[in-house]
Amino acid sequence: MRLPPRNRIATDAIKAWKLHAHLKAFIPLLFTIGAFAASYFVDFIPYWVGAGLAVLTLLYWGVLALLIPKLKWKRWRYEIFEQEVYIQHGIIVVTRTVVPMVRVQHVDTQQGPILKRYGLSTLEISTAATVHTIPALLESEASDLRDQISELARVEQDDV
Amino acid sequence: MMSEPKRLHPVAMILNILHSFRQWLVSLLPVVILSIGNGRLLFIGIFAVVLAVFYIGYSVVSWYRYTYWIEEDQLRIEHGVVIRKKRSISKHRIQSIDLTQNIIHRIFGLTKVHIETAGTDLGIDAALHAVTMAEGKAIHDRLKYKKEQGSEDVFNDEKMPAEMYSSQKVDMTSLLVAGSTSASFGVILGILGLLVTELDSLIPDHYYSQATNWLFSQAVQTLILLAITALIIMWFFGILTTVIQYWKFTITRYEKELFMTRGLLEKKQSTIPLKKIQAVGIKESLLRQPLGFCTIYVEVASGALGKDGDTATLLFPILRKKHALSFIKELLPEFAFEQMNWGRPPSRALPYYLFRWIIIPLIACIVVAIYSLEWFYLPLAALGLALCIAYSQFKSAGYEIQEKQLLIQSRILNKDMVIMPHKRLQSMSKKQHILHKRHQLANLETAILSTITGRRVALLELEEKDTERIINWYSYRKQHLS
Repeated sequence: MRLPPRNRIATDAIKAWKLHAHLKAFIPLLFTIGAFAASYFVDFIPYWVGAGLAVLTLLYWGVLALLIPKLKWKRWRYEIFEQEVYIQHGIIVVTRTVVPMVRVQHVDTQQGPILKRYGLSTLEISTAATVHTIPALLESEASDLRDQISELARVEQDDV
Repeated sequence: MMSEPKRLHPVAMILNILHSFRQWLVSLLPVVILSIGNGRLLFIGIFAVVLAVFYIGYSVVSWYRYTYWIEEDQLRIEHGVVIRKKRSISKHRIQSIDLTQNIIHRIFGLTKVHIETAGTDLGIDAALHAVTMAEGKAIHDRLKYKKEQGSEDVFNDEKMPAEMYSSQKVDMTSLLVAGSTSASFGVILGILGLLVTELDSLIPDHYYSQATNWLFSQAVQTLILLAITALIIMWFFGILTTVIQYWKFTITRYEKELFMTRGLLEKKQSTIPLKKIQAVGIKESLLRQPLGFCTIYVEVASGALGKDGDTATLLFPILRKKHALSFIKELLPEFAFEQMNWGRPPSRALPYYLFRWIIIPLIACIVVAIYSLEWFYLPLAALGLALCIAYSQFKSAGYEIQEKQLLIQSRILNKDMVIMPHKRLQSMSKKQHILHKRHQLANLETAILSTITGRRVALLELEEKDTERIINWYSYRKQHLS
């Protein structure tokens, strides 16, 4: 049996994902407020619609912010070998992917405002047909990996 | 010689006008129909005439302004009425040159020269819309990098390509089978079957009794008869189009490319450079499988080849399944294979396959059972159908590891076997959830490059150690198995 990859992503990933979840929870929150406002002004919309939405919002928020980031982080693993990139992710369906270096076309690092706040960035490995990401690595680590992979990927390529 | 700037054959103007006319017709027809009896017909008429004159004028000018010539190793094109565009395409960058003729071309003895470069950008490719046949062949010969022997003769029907290259031709009976089992016919057959066998039983009796009058039932019968006639006509039409489209379909293997010609009214050539082929597939559609026929296709890394609306490129429209192997062996020996130890998902994977398909019809059954038992047979039939599909999916799923290629067979509705060389597999994943883990099963997913984006090829619920075996075969990091 192939062992899972060894390296974990940055622990701050949990914080970043939590922040992302908080921001995301604003959308159902707005709907909930809207529903309450609507039932205040319009007679035929009962209050329980708003209440139901509020419960759903809380549930959504709770799962998204408290549960998922931690589980996701626990599952996320990666390992860079000389010949290939090996990635594991997925909470319910655990996916382990092998990307041979000879198939790698280019490597990018990416950073949005949330990741930037925590000094993290995402590594994106593209083959001719697929894109594989390793989210939330430490900035320096991500750029090192990027250079390392692009160096390793520079072996003689079969044309695609 | 050819270094003088040349214009296209004047028929190019006609083609251009017809092309824009067809485009305008579609968008203008509703307006015209609406304006009939509205008194605005005259206005529309004037507008149409002005438009027509404008387009004809534009076509003439753009024909006049379009010149091309060959300079050393370059094809140069200058065109554009207001904005001048110059394009030069190097001979070494040209992947293929195909000559295509539609009916108008054939009346005048002309051809369209389609030049394809390696880029996936359609705009980079060039097409000379109408040149004389001789000119087309001359361009083909001058620009074709490393000219293939015999390839200039291929367009002549009477001359066969050189013996050293193998070639296959579709025969008439197969073509008729292809036509009568084409996808559109499948739909028709389904509707027809439903109409003929189910119509009486489909409508519960009391719906009939509400409309008991004789006239009505008579009218319904006439309607059904008409519908059936229409469907049969459509079927024949489908056969006809297939036969016309794939008339004398011939595929020839040259050293570095596959070359196909086809068509009765519209003659088409297409070239597939071998190094662009990512995978070869054998597809048995639902209707063709029982008759023992299949279709061969290739996945090609190009944005342009799939422009006929297919995602994959057809290699051979129809042949007997038992000949598929020898076909591949002859034309694409790189992809030839022998089926030796075919791996299949274990029987404990069957519940997963069944569950995926049954769940929705099962819910439908329950819901319908609660509300009205009268219509119960409908979801029940769906359930039966789902069971059949799921079971045949399970039966079709399989794989085989060859030395340098992976074979994966699966089915959504049509059975599809893909032959993928190791070096074309872009990545490979093993997917597993908790239940899988308990049953020691896992899904396998891999991706190949096709037309522009990738195509995922998956095999569901394999024995976990089989997925490990495949990944080990794939991985360059040969690992000790523990």
